[in-house]
Amino acid sequence: MDLVKKQHDVTGWVNEYSDALFNYCLQRTKDRDTANDLVQETFLSAWRAVDGYSGEASVKTWLFTILKNKIIDHYRKMSKRQTASLFNDADPFFDEGNHWRDGVCPKDWGSDAQDKVEAKEFYVVFDGCKSKLKEIQSAVFTMKYLDGLDSEEICKVLELTSSNYWVLIHRAKTQLRACLEMNWFTL
Amino acid sequence: MGISCKQAVDYISKKEEGKLSGNQRFQLWQHLAICKFCRSFSKQNKLLTSIFKKRPDTLPEESGTVDKQAIIKALEHAVGGSLN
Repeated sequence: MDLVKKQHDVTGWVNEYSDALFNYCLQRTKDRDTANDLVQETFLSAWRAVDGYSGEASVKTWLFTILKNKIIDHYRKMSKRQTASLFNDADPFFDEGNHWRDGVCPKDWGSDAQDKVEAKEFYVVFDGCKSKLKEIQSAVFTMKYLDGLDSEEICKVLELTSSNYWVLIHRAKTQLRACLEMNWFTL
Repeated sequence: MGISCKQAVDYISKKEEGKLSGNQRFQLWQHLAICKFCRSFSKQNKLLTSIFKKRPDTLPEESGTVDKQAIIKALEHAVGGSLN
């Protein structure tokens, strides 16, 4: 492709699609800096690969495909680092007999719990709680419950063993539940 | 001897994917019948997972914007020339 046109196109894509890519990414990574970096890398890869872009998929779809691969690479890198350390920590919610620890047992959320999750502000609290998880926990949780992948796919993508996967889901859920209970449902 | 609370919580997640045997489903049912904490957990888990399914894929546009000039600059730097 002619260089001037290539430059023109890629700059245009940055202006048109970077916010959408950023917001998608922000929901899946721990902080804005990481999201920023991944979006930037996406455009860099797009620039390098633009000659091979067939035009079959829309530009937006193509950019999202590149971004999703960047996110997965990022997940894989931190999965190796964070999974090991996670298993050394004692479970904060269960005692030696594997019963709920005192003070962190699930409480009744009341009869209006359904209305509470439908309130707009719920997601603000939810995102705050999710950001307190370790990134690998958050990644597993997002892939499972927001992207709707099943455990086999997630294990394959993140190179996790099945038993590690279930521990990550378990920890993510119990932590999120407790955080939401304290900051939203029993306020 | 029934299952523990920790196991019950684990079973609740596995059940979502249809990964419990008949015996495990029975053990979970038995545990939930006698444990109000895990019953609450199970109910709350259902509520939360149902709401996540409805959540849109990306956050609304106003929740964050990116510094586009910074991206263009980084691209210029990487490809060694002006993009404009």
